[in-house]
Amino acid sequence: MRKSLTLLALLLFYSLAAISQTPTTITGRVLSKDGTPIPDASVRIEGSKTGTTTNVKGEYTIKARPGATLIISAISFTSEKIKLVEGRDSYNISLSASTKFLDEVVVSAGGLKARKKEQGYNATELKTEQLTNTAPVDVTSALSGKVAGLQISDVGGGINQSYRVVLRGQRSLLGNNQALIVLDNVVVPNSVLGNLNPDDIQTLEVLNGASAVALYGSEASNGALIVTTKKGKKGIPEVKLGNTSTWQQINSYPKLQKEFGGGGNGYGVNPDGSPTFSPIENQSYGPAFDGKMVNLGYPLENGDQLKVPYKANNDRSDFWQKSYTNQSDFSVSSGNDNSTLYLSGQYASVSGVMPGDRYNRATLRLNGTRRVSDKINGTYSIGWTQNRYNITTAGGDIYNNLLNIPANVPILMFKDWRTNEYSNPNGFENPWYQNPYFEADNNRQKVRNDYLVGNVQLDYAPIPSLDITARVGMTTNNGSTLAWTDKFTYTPYAISESGGSKSNIPGSVSSNNNYYTRLEGNVYATYKKTVSKFDFNLTGGWSIRQNNSQFTYASVTGLVVPGLFNLSNSTSLPTASDGTFESRLAGLYGDFKVGFDNYLFLEATGRNDWVSILNPPNNHFFYPSVSLSFVASDAFQALKDMRNLDYLKLRGSWSKVGQVNLTADPNSPTFGAYSLQPTYYQNNGYPFQGVAGYSVGNQLVQPGLKPEFTKGYEGGIDLAMFKNRLQATVTYYSTHTTNQTVPANISSASGYTSFLLNSGEVSNKGIESKLTVTPYQTKLWTVTVSANYSYTDNKVISINPALPTLPVASYSSGAGSYAIPGYQFPVIYGTDYKRYQGHVIVDAVTGLPEVNQTLQVLGSAAVKNQLGLDANVRYGSLSLYVLFEYRGGNKIYNAGGPTYDWSGTSIRTVAFHRQRFIFPNSVIDAGGGKYVTNTNVLIQNGNGNDGFWTDQTENMGVTSNYVTSGAFWKLRQLSLSYTFPGKMLGNNKVIKNLTVSAQGRNLFLWLPKTNIYTDPEYSDAGQASNGIGLTNLQAPPSRYFGGTISFTF
Amino acid sequence: MKKISSLSIATVVLLFASSCKKFTNINNNPNAATTSTAEAILPQAIVYTAANSNGYNTYGAELGGYAANAGGYGGFGSSWTYDFGPNDYSGLWSSTYDALEDFQTVINITAGDKDHSYYNAIARIMEAYNFELLVDTYNNVPYTDALKGTKGLTPKYDDAKTIYPALAVQLDSAITVIHAGDADQNVITLNTGTDPMFGGDMTKWAQFAQTIKLRLIIRASGAATFSNTSFDSNIGFLTTDAIVNPGYAKVNGQQNPAWNTWVQSYAGANGNRAWMPNTYAFSFYNGDNLLDNGRGYAIYFNFPNTPNNQLGVGTTAVPSAPATANAWYSGSTSSLGNAVGVMKGPNMGQPLMLAAESYFLQAEADVRGILGGTAKTDFLNGIEASFHYLYLLPDDATVASGWDPVADAAQYQLDNATSYLVNFDLATTQAQQLEAIITQKYIALNFINSQEGWNEYRRTGYPKCSQFTVDPTKSFASTLSQSSRTDRLPTRILYPASEYSYNAANVPSGISPYTSLIFWAH
Repeated sequence: MRKSLTLLALLLFYSLAAISQTPTTITGRVLSKDGTPIPDASVRIEGSKTGTTTNVKGEYTIKARPGATLIISAISFTSEKIKLVEGRDSYNISLSASTKFLDEVVVSAGGLKARKKEQGYNATELKTEQLTNTAPVDVTSALSGKVAGLQISDVGGGINQSYRVVLRGQRSLLGNNQALIVLDNVVVPNSVLGNLNPDDIQTLEVLNGASAVALYGSEASNGALIVTTKKGKKGIPEVKLGNTSTWQQINSYPKLQKEFGGGGNGYGVNPDGSPTFSPIENQSYGPAFDGKMVNLGYPLENGDQLKVPYKANNDRSDFWQKSYTNQSDFSVSSGNDNSTLYLSGQYASVSGVMPGDRYNRATLRLNGTRRVSDKINGTYSIGWTQNRYNITTAGGDIYNNLLNIPANVPILMFKDWRTNEYSNPNGFENPWYQNPYFEADNNRQKVRNDYLVGNVQLDYAPIPSLDITARVGMTTNNGSTLAWTDKFTYTPYAISESGGSKSNIPGSVSSNNNYYTRLEGNVYATYKKTVSKFDFNLTGGWSIRQNNSQFTYASVTGLVVPGLFNLSNSTSLPTASDGTFESRLAGLYGDFKVGFDNYLFLEATGRNDWVSILNPPNNHFFYPSVSLSFVASDAFQALKDMRNLDYLKLRGSWSKVGQVNLTADPNSPTFGAYSLQPTYYQNNGYPFQGVAGYSVGNQLVQPGLKPEFTKGYEGGIDLAMFKNRLQATVTYYSTHTTNQTVPANISSASGYTSFLLNSGEVSNKGIESKLTVTPYQTKLWTVTVSANYSYTDNKVISINPALPTLPVASYSSGAGSYAIPGYQFPVIYGTDYKRYQGHVIVDAVTGLPEVNQTLQVLGSAAVKNQLGLDANVRYGSLSLYVLFEYRGGNKIYNAGGPTYDWSGTSIRTVAFHRQRFIFPNSVIDAGGGKYVTNTNVLIQNGNGNDGFWTDQTENMGVTSNYVTSGAFWKLRQLSLSYTFPGKMLGNNKVIKNLTVSAQGRNLFLWLPKTNIYTDPEYSDAGQASNGIGLTNLQAPPSRYFGGTISFTF
Repeated sequence: MKKISSLSIATVVLLFASSCKKFTNINNNPNAATTSTAEAILPQAIVYTAANSNGYNTYGAELGGYAANAGGYGGFGSSWTYDFGPNDYSGLWSSTYDALEDFQTVINITAGDKDHSYYNAIARIMEAYNFELLVDTYNNVPYTDALKGTKGLTPKYDDAKTIYPALAVQLDSAITVIHAGDADQNVITLNTGTDPMFGGDMTKWAQFAQTIKLRLIIRASGAATFSNTSFDSNIGFLTTDAIVNPGYAKVNGQQNPAWNTWVQSYAGANGNRAWMPNTYAFSFYNGDNLLDNGRGYAIYFNFPNTPNNQLGVGTTAVPSAPATANAWYSGSTSSLGNAVGVMKGPNMGQPLMLAAESYFLQAEADVRGILGGTAKTDFLNGIEASFHYLYLLPDDATVASGWDPVADAAQYQLDNATSYLVNFDLATTQAQQLEAIITQKYIALNFINSQEGWNEYRRTGYPKCSQFTVDPTKSFASTLSQSSRTDRLPTRILYPASEYSYNAANVPSGISPYTSLIFWAH
């Protein structure tokens, strides 16, 4: 038998040889149009299985017969064919960059790879240069305005901003709405994104919808950002060095009045009827500025008296200093046939606009691949980040104090509080509010965070059609905070002169240590098979995840030795608390793909999860997804033949994803664990003298709590025309999120204050679109402009009959950000004046507006329209980039507003120059349901103190007074860079190129006139809360500008 | 082959699913207790009520003429105008119901458990005490539907007129439960640790129950119908102060709540200095209305030169509160914390009901014919009990040396011999007698249980303040009052905003701070 087989083979061989010519060895190089070699390009003989790949120099060798055709292809390049001719054995080929990016391979859910043409959902890929062209410290800020449907919000400004990352609007009432972050195929806590070195990122893929990410399991309903870090490249090692300097200054400030200074009619009335000036008063309800010299503060113990001109200065905004950031980074990339290596390091040091605030961050990264054998490949990726803050804990207070201080107070002169007698707390002019410089110095914290993020992956391909992958990922964060207020003892003179308003500061110290670790294991196998025109691809796998965290917190008040910040340095015993949390998740999943003739693709996924934080039998659940992609331009000859059509893809998908939403904060170290049982806690000072005393916890939990489910579909079209000079994409989506997990506030008469239940439904629908046009392109010039627009419409369908309104984030006044059925999610909810056809009803005698104490919907807090406009102009090695972003269709409540009115510093309080006035747009009840326009009833006291502006009921407590449009335009990014090629540097063979650039971020902020407060992106409720639309005394918004120089060796 | 593979896949899946169960069965809380006992909850609930009583005292003092704004502060807003919003004093509502839930849990845990009869009875009495506070502050409140957790997420409101009799029944049943406990030889008794008010003295608890019941019946004065208006004379009424002290100390979180609010934090930071004595209340000590050197020196800082003010006057002429300590602290400012009066020290107990109040209630009951005692005797006992409480040191047991309550109460009679507010014999009409009793009660409650003084004023119109006058010794109404009443005072505060948000269908609407009356008020 064996013999005859050999015979047969021989026979075949000879017969083949007889009908064709002898193959010869063909060599050559594959280069890109600019002459750089293309490694790993595929060179194969058409109609046969023979093929090879190019080496790092782009060289190939292949045996082929004359007359055969070579097909040369490489990722990101257009394939070319060469017909071999007799007598020639060397062919160099240059490939042009592919415009058919549909063939590009991208990472999709679960670490599986997919070609863009196969994706049945909206996906946007951003590359390194799109993320780093303005050299941000936190890469999150670079995403703003670039991707339709992605909303990045800087919630608080300050030295190290925290960003809220939401795709397609909010869908969970109180659960997590932020996009899943995946780093090198491992799901990581959101905080990791801001702690990456942006230069380490190869690609950042935004998957807007749940169907794209369903495979990631119960965190996927919010879409995902999939970050892939750089790998070393085969070939000549490349070393990069760079340095960036960035300056920061505030670019917007609450509008403050400059007409009136400190005082008020509480101090009496001048002969002309104006209120009396007071040298110590912090409220600006005094007389109009006249420029004369006045006393400021009490006389000091030594008799010295500070005198200042009674006129307005700019110190309240000049207090915020111009600050400086320096980033240095290096990276090394190298590789050979068996392994690659990428090493990088970055150090960033940042100072803040708040005097004394400092932040630094160091990151290291080691990424590599290793071919262990023909069948086994190993990949590893390790990142280490440490960040350190030294910042004041009194930021909000300081801002508040600044806004309380009358415009005639020269704040900048109070810098040296240790040496200057007027700046020292004893001599500071204001008995109620501290010198902001002293406050910044005296209330501080040092925060330390160390992150280690790593993963190891083994790929094993026992047979060509089967791939088995095992991956282990780990994220661990180890942090500590030491916060303190130093003690300060006033002189008896200062205490008595201020009537006790200056009282000794006992000082305090708190210390917090915490860690969390997230471990993830994944094993999956993919089997591929092609049957005629069908490509089948089946993946099955399992995944486990374990979260652990622990914290210890201790504090003391009452320090003994000033300046010593240790728990032992106290007159009292420390109080302490701690917590340990653990949660687990296990999942089984499968993915089935079938492609037909390379233009029609169907993908179905399914996953079943088991979670520890819910009770059986509700702790396991299944969720499926299906998507379809149809490349019409490849399917129909008529479209193929259309001259100007490059591609046309139609896509659609459907999915259902479960999410266990027991915490709104994706970074919460509790992971939602232990939320189901009632708790009892020691309260009211217990334990007392060896006796314990417990109080019943205030949360009720619905028995049988389930995960919430987001079901939805999306459909879209991707189009490219005119040799990709025009690219367009549009997506429509619609989702319904049901079974919301809501810790609803309830009447305290029930004995409890909140009730955790499954209830409510939110619908989200919207459009995401992007248009990119390259109107002008020559050898030297490329001009590209693009616009991305998204429309988001989310609506609360229902909550619970017993809970008609659900506060998501609210103030003690009841005003806040609410979920209310029938309205967008969330809405601003609060008090308003009583109105008749929009006019404010005022009292016929006092002229004072009447307040409706029943809370009203005052507008949607959700951004409806988002537009990004950018332009890229290249001229040779010179490149200019500009990006504008608009957001609108939403309202914000400026919770700081009443503060500025209280202090009399706000521009509102001088609308009528402190005179009696007719309340604008007001009507008077004429009886019998009739109202007449108010033309003559004035508010009697148009001043502060006991006048209108400081009246809690009539003015400050009325929410609608501080609700303004949330719209803005921002000049997000502007950068100009020039790359000097090695040639220009004298061909020194050391430096390959040198790039210099100048760049700015958030350079300008344009707000509607009514918004006299601050950046509408801010959220007083914090980064983790869905209660958006509330701003307060966050740091003033800033612009950033600077320059970068980088070398490649 | 095919069969085997699908079978083995099924096995793997099953194995995985069952191991998942174990893998995910880790959701037991390692950080907090998930069960509790009556022994653990009751003492805390009593101390919680004591903490809340500080809030009620603040509310009563601000509305009821005991306190006024001090110099150097602004932002009094509705404290001056009485134009209350739903957020004013809203903490009273939530914290009282929160404490009530703790008592209700004790009642639920001990239901049918004879050995825990005393726990059950105490929880019932305290529940009645707390519900009365709510009714007296808010009129109609959730009662029958309240404290039911998931079974009553939006509790309906009960008519205040029906809650009072229900509380009286609850108090009677508590006494029955105490008797049942007395008859049970295995009954679990309480001690000073588990009962921070009476140290396990169940007789005092029964007296406390009867005194609360007496207060309910007197205060309703015919506006509500009680099923049982009799009292057990073997038990009687409170003759000692009902004071909660779990071991308050100058330690973080463990100070007496009133001291902590008004005088000083455990670390030495100043307490609330935005308020100081109201000239009106002060006039009952400095001779403007009555002369009371004994209690004046006991209570006030630097008496009789204590800084004081008329509510609503906010000029710079208004003195500041004392630079250290507090206007209601009479002791030495150099070493705070071992004084007599209302702010004795950080370790003093928190009174829930003074013996003086008990005596004045009895005196009124005598006058009204509800009890058969002698009004004058109870009246004099009430004054003496007031002196006695105020002269106690922070241990609430020792009369400070050099202070003699009996002698000073007698001196008080001599100093005000011509006033029927002090000399009961001069009060010849029932109205005068009632005025004397209520005025003395008002004085005895000064800055201790101020809310009861405010309640009694709204019920009886005493002490007299019926006509608004700019004379700060004749009226305690704010000079900036927006009230339309002749006394220019408010009638009540509003329901909290939380009820309008979370229980909107049930909370009464149209409540006015000037015209809506508590059912017993005039």
